[in-house]
Amino acid sequence: MKVPFLVIGGGLSGLAAAIRVARFNPSVLLLEKHSRLGGLNSYFYRNKTLYETGLHAITNYAGPRDKKAPLNRLLRQLKLQRNDFTFCEQYHSEVVFMGCTSLRFSNDFNLFQSEISGKFPQTGDKLQKLLVFLGNYDPFVPMPFTSAKKFLLQILGDKLLADMILCPLMYYGSSQENDMDLSQFAIMFRAIYQEGMFRPLGTIKDVLDLLVAHLQTLGGETRTSCGVEKIVHHQGTAIGVQLSSGEEIECDYLLSTIGRDETMRLLDKTAATPMTGYGRLGFVETIYQVPEIEATHLACDKTIIFYNDGERFLYKNPEGLVDFASGVICFPGNFQGLERKDLREIRSTHLANYALWKALSANAEQYTAEKERTSRRSGRCLENIIGDFTTNIVYKNSFTPLTIERYTSKIGGAIYGNPTKTKDGTIGFNNLFLAGTDQGFLGIIGSMLSGVSIVNQHILPRL
Amino acid sequence: MTSEEIKDLILEIIEDIDDEADFTSLDADQPLRDQLDLDSMDFLDIVMELRKRHKLQIPEEDYPHLATLNSCATYLEPLLKDA
Repeated sequence: MKVPFLVIGGGLSGLAAAIRVARFNPSVLLLEKHSRLGGLNSYFYRNKTLYETGLHAITNYAGPRDKKAPLNRLLRQLKLQRNDFTFCEQYHSEVVFMGCTSLRFSNDFNLFQSEISGKFPQTGDKLQKLLVFLGNYDPFVPMPFTSAKKFLLQILGDKLLADMILCPLMYYGSSQENDMDLSQFAIMFRAIYQEGMFRPLGTIKDVLDLLVAHLQTLGGETRTSCGVEKIVHHQGTAIGVQLSSGEEIECDYLLSTIGRDETMRLLDKTAATPMTGYGRLGFVETIYQVPEIEATHLACDKTIIFYNDGERFLYKNPEGLVDFASGVICFPGNFQGLERKDLREIRSTHLANYALWKALSANAEQYTAEKERTSRRSGRCLENIIGDFTTNIVYKNSFTPLTIERYTSKIGGAIYGNPTKTKDGTIGFNNLFLAGTDQGFLGIIGSMLSGVSIVNQHILPRL
Repeated sequence: MTSEEIKDLILEIIEDIDDEADFTSLDADQPLRDQLDLDSMDFLDIVMELRKRHKLQIPEEDYPHLATLNSCATYLEPLLKDA
C-alpha cells in the first residue's frame, strides 16, 4: 500500500503531526510499535487500576485568552477546542535545597519573584535583568551552544540561586549533563516558571483517546503493535517502510518521532549501533500509594517538589545505580479541582545509570532485588522532605531505564533523548524528517508543537 | 469571485482558525496578523485552507501578498475569477 504521509511513533509528537497533516490531507497513517499509544506518556493497568507512565504535570499552562501562548497555539493548530478538556492547575510547587533554602512557585509568577527577593535579597534587581533579557531573547533562532549555567551565574552572581532555578528545568527537560543550552533554558524557564503547570482532569488515556478520535474524524489512521523493521530509501529519498510483519508501506513523506539514532538504525541495519546510552540520562521512577486516611499529614497544597541534598547540585549520569542526592517528588492528586481519592499517590524520580542497570539485568533476581532496594531508599529520602508514609504503602511500582527502554524503544531508556538536538528536523533526506524529543522541544506541549512545526515547515508547503 | 466575496472568504477562514477573532475594527489596509493577533503558524492555515477549498497553490514567495485584507483580494482575484 501507499500513503502520502507516514508517521513512525505514536507518542504525543507523532499524534500531533498526524492530526496536523490530516487536517489538510486525510491520508495519514501512524505506526506505533507498542500495543498502546502515548510513547513516554502512556499508561498501564495493575490490579484493575490505570496508572500513568510519564505524566507528572504538563508545563506551559496558559489561560484561554492568551492567544500566543504555546498551549493555545497548539490547540488552534490541531483544531482542538479548549473546552474539550478540563485543565487543572497546580497548587504550588517548590525547589528545596536541603540545609540551604527553598523557593516556592506557582502559576502566578509573582510568587516565585517574591520568594527569590525574600530569600536572596542580595540579588536585588538582577532577576529583573534576567527577565528583561529573556523577554527580548528569541530561543528559536539557531545559535551555537551557550551554557545556561555560566550565563545565569554571570547575570545573578549567586551559584546557589542559579542551581535552584536550574534544578526543575533540568529535571523536566535537559538531555545534557550539568548544563543546558541557553535557548533550551529560555524555553523551559517560560514553560515552568512564567507559564506554570497543570494536568487534565482525567487521565492521560482520556487525552490520548481524544487525540486518536480527532485524528480518525479527520480521516487519519493509527496502527499499534506495528513495529518498523527498516526504512527503505534510495539516494536521499525515503521510499517507505518495511514492517516487522514483512509488509511494506510506501509513502511520499515520512516523519520519524522515535529519536535520531533510533531512526538511523532503521535506515541502515548494517551500521554499528550507536553508542548505547552514551551521554544519555536515565531515570528511575517509583509510584507509591498510601490510603488517604493514613496520609492526612502529607501536603495537600504542594504539587511537585524538586529536592537536592545540600548546596552542590549534580545533574549527571550517576556513578552508582541511582543518585538519591536529588530528585523529584510529585503528588499527582494535588491539582486544583481534583477530587480526593481513597488512595494518595506519590511519585519519585531520580537520575539512574542505564549501563549498570543493564549489567544487572543479566541476573533477574538481582535486578528485582535492586529495584526493591531503590524503591525503599527513595521512599526514605522522600520521607525526610514530606513526612512519613512508607509504613502504609499498599501498592508500589518502579521503572528503571530498562523498563523505559523496553516500552518506548528509546536508546538507553533516555527520556530526554540524544543530548545533541536536530533543531531543523532534517537528517539528510529530502522527504524524511525528525520530530519529537530529538528535535528539541520537550514536555507534552513542546513535543506536540515539535510535531506541528516540523510538519508546517517541511511537509505542508509541499503537499 | 468578486473582491468582496474573496474578503468574506478570508474572514471566514480566519474565523474558522480563531472563533474569537474580532473583525469590528479591522482596517483592510493594515496587516491582518498584527490586528488579529495571528502568528506565522495561523497564517499558514490561511494558505492551507485556500489550497484545500479552492485547489490554490500559493508559492511561499507570494505569502507577503496575503498580508492585508485588501492585498489578499488584489492577489487572489485573478486566481479565483472562475471560482
